[in-house]
Amino acid sequence: MTIAVCIKWVNYSGPVESDTPDERFAGFSFADQAALEWALRIAEKSADEVLVLTAGPVGAEAVLRDALSRGAHRAVRIDIDLTSDSSVIARSLVGAMSQARMVWCGDYSNDRGSGSVPSFIAAELNIDQALGLVALELPENANASFTAVRRLDGGRREQLLISGPAVLSVEGSTIRLRRASLKNTMSASKQEIQVITATGDRVETPALRPYRPRPRVTLAPIGLTALERVKHITDTSSSKGHGETVHAEPSVAATLILESLRKWGYLP
Amino acid sequence: MTDADIIVVGAGPAGSCAAIAAARSGKRVVLIERGPFPGSKNMYGGVIYPRILDELIPQWFETAPIQRWVIRRSTMVLSDTGALNIDYRSNAWGQAPYNGATAYRPDFDNWLAQQAVAAGADLICSTTVTGLLRDDQGRVCGVSTDRPDGDLTASVVIACDGVNSFLAKQAGLYPNANADNYTLGVKETLSLSKHIIDERFGVRDNQGVDIEILGGTSGVNGGGFIYTNLDTIAVGVVLKLSKLSAQKKRPEDIIAELKRHPAIAPLVEGGEVVEYSAHLIPEAGLEMMPKMVADGLLIAGDAAALCLAAGIWLEGVNFAMASGMYAGQSASAAIDASNVSAASLKSYTNRLNETFVLQDHKKLRKIPHLVLSDRVQHRYPAFVTGVVERMFRVDNPTPKPGVRRIVREERKKAGIKLSELVRDALTGLKGFG
Ligand SMILES: Cc1cc2nc3c(=O)[nH]c(=O)nc-3n(C[C@H](O)[C@H](O)[C@H](O)COP(=O)(O)OP(=O)(O)OC[C@H]3O[C@@H](n4cnc5c(N)ncnc54)[C@H](O)[C@@H]3O)c2cc1C
Repeated sequence: MTIAVCIKWVNYSGPVESDTPDERFAGFSFADQAALEWALRIAEKSADEVLVLTAGPVGAEAVLRDALSRGAHRAVRIDIDLTSDSSVIARSLVGAMSQARMVWCGDYSNDRGSGSVPSFIAAELNIDQALGLVALELPENANASFTAVRRLDGGRREQLLISGPAVLSVEGSTIRLRRASLKNTMSASKQEIQVITATGDRVETPALRPYRPRPRVTLAPIGLTALERVKHITDTSSSKGHGETVHAEPSVAATLILESLRKWGYLP
Repeated sequence: MTDADIIVVGAGPAGSCAAIAAARSGKRVVLIERGPFPGSKNMYGGVIYPRILDELIPQWFETAPIQRWVIRRSTMVLSDTGALNIDYRSNAWGQAPYNGATAYRPDFDNWLAQQAVAAGADLICSTTVTGLLRDDQGRVCGVSTDRPDGDLTASVVIACDGVNSFLAKQAGLYPNANADNYTLGVKETLSLSKHIIDERFGVRDNQGVDIEILGGTSGVNGGGFIYTNLDTIAVGVVLKLSKLSAQKKRPEDIIAELKRHPAIAPLVEGGEVVEYSAHLIPEAGLEMMPKMVADGLLIAGDAAALCLAAGIWLEGVNFAMASGMYAGQSASAAIDASNVSAASLKSYTNRLNETFVLQDHKKLRKIPHLVLSDRVQHRYPAFVTGVVERMFRVDNPTPKPGVRRIVREERKKAGIKLSELVRDALTGLKGFG
């Protein structure tokens, strides 16, 4: 079987706004590097081949050669304009990864990526997705299920049990990509890269609007002078602030503090 | 069988030219560079004299990533407040076959290395060579690198790893390395609009200016430079290492002081620093040159101290390109003759001796020392500018003094003895040929 890794050729030197990266400063993000390393580690324990894919112009083959030098077995470049819609890119990638039992991606690319390609891939393949992983524990048996931790909004975490085919996207901090050996680096420059011309249309998605909180009515400040109005808005001079001095034993004091915080609405 | 015929270490100008020459003669060449791409770790002042490329890359000027063609060369002598400027302009230098050009090293070195790749060399970046491999008889037979499984064997190794070459030192070719032979080059790249640069320096289109400066280094022995790129200018100083450390001055403060000089400030005003960089220069020329050949090993460019730093001339890239090219050719010829011993590789040093590479160094042997000497550095700028100031100052109703009197008085004021002046003039005359 195949483990597919999708990597994107980007300017890693910073927020340079360019559709075609300067080859000298281009590579693949730490997140994509981590994805490749996880795939290589799993493949070391199983008999899977690691197929690395990128979508982009000829220059993008540099990242495929880099991946080959680090141990990937096969490389495919989808010949496509880098500014194409994520859904089109995902569909083209899926078309080139038949039989993939796992797809690894970086959580999002360096060039203002939104991380949407992995979810489009999961939708295309109709398999599970585990995106934005911050920690993984690989099992001894490469085919067994394993746990991973996913980042949620507001600093929360979600633990997932991953079994069966899935698209996984990982953060760059999860693992460090191995260094290529000298011999592999030299041979990778001569290895064949399969080139596939992109096909597929844009996937129609429901129109979404950004979340906007409901407006809160605020009364106009009262006061004759600007200073009074500012004071009214900022509330700086009123003595509404909470404060109370108590003298008590520590345990009693702690209870009082908690009660007061609850009363004032700082604690539920 | 070895992994390669020739390993070239370092894809600077010397390394890439060595690789081009060797690959063109049909050899299996591996060019190893520690930076992520050729030129990424390299800096210099800013002017290349690329005519030597005529031999290697005909019509190089059509594809080389040049910023501006130098059509004005100035030499400035700065005292604390005054400046004497000798300026030469030739618009003919702005047309083929050209003379000097400003270029960014990450562009130029990368372009040159791509010529080596086009000639058939394998370029391996992000790989640091950590040592030399030797066979049972002690002959160099390859290199070790910092990559896993990183040893690579070859018939000849050409070390083009720049100033402070660890490979040449490891091969025992620098038995008495001495910090006194090196200067520290420090440079700020200032961003200015093309239009402002054109106006301030009196050039247009892609015409450029090269200004070499004596004085203006805050009392530390050395010199300064200003070069124009399309929309940046390079301002820098070259400082004698031992003096810099003895005087406990910071190089960035010295550049700041130079930029405040009344003759320099109007040229650099409003420029935003977009890059600050520093690098050593092998300054002492012939005095410090090592043996350049060992069994299975050649060294070229700055690694062999071939940079020419002789006051009004700061040329290293052309010396590196030429020596690299000759090293590549000699290594290839030695392999063809199935003899890569030091004796067989000696054709390399013969070639250096026959050409400008060592002939210029021999001719100018005394100049680096003279230019960096305390007298030339600390007394001559005030003396020269003092003489000129008085020649052009009109003190009516006092009549003009004779030039001989001015020279005598200013010489005494600067504390230079007549015998010293004569001696330095003779050394200079002899040295500059
Ligand atoms: C401030 C300053 C101003 C200068 N101004 C000028 C000027 O205006 N004109 C001019 O002609 N010259 C100038 N020079 C001199 C010029 O820069 C050098 O002479 C020239 O770069 C030498 O070329 P090279 O190829 O020998 O070495 P370098 O250009 O130093 O190249 C050495 C290469 O080897 C690589 N390397 C080093 N060690 C290893 C290793 N162990 N493994 C793998 N790779 C390695 C480096 O990354 C580098 O790419 C200036 C120098 C300085 C510092």
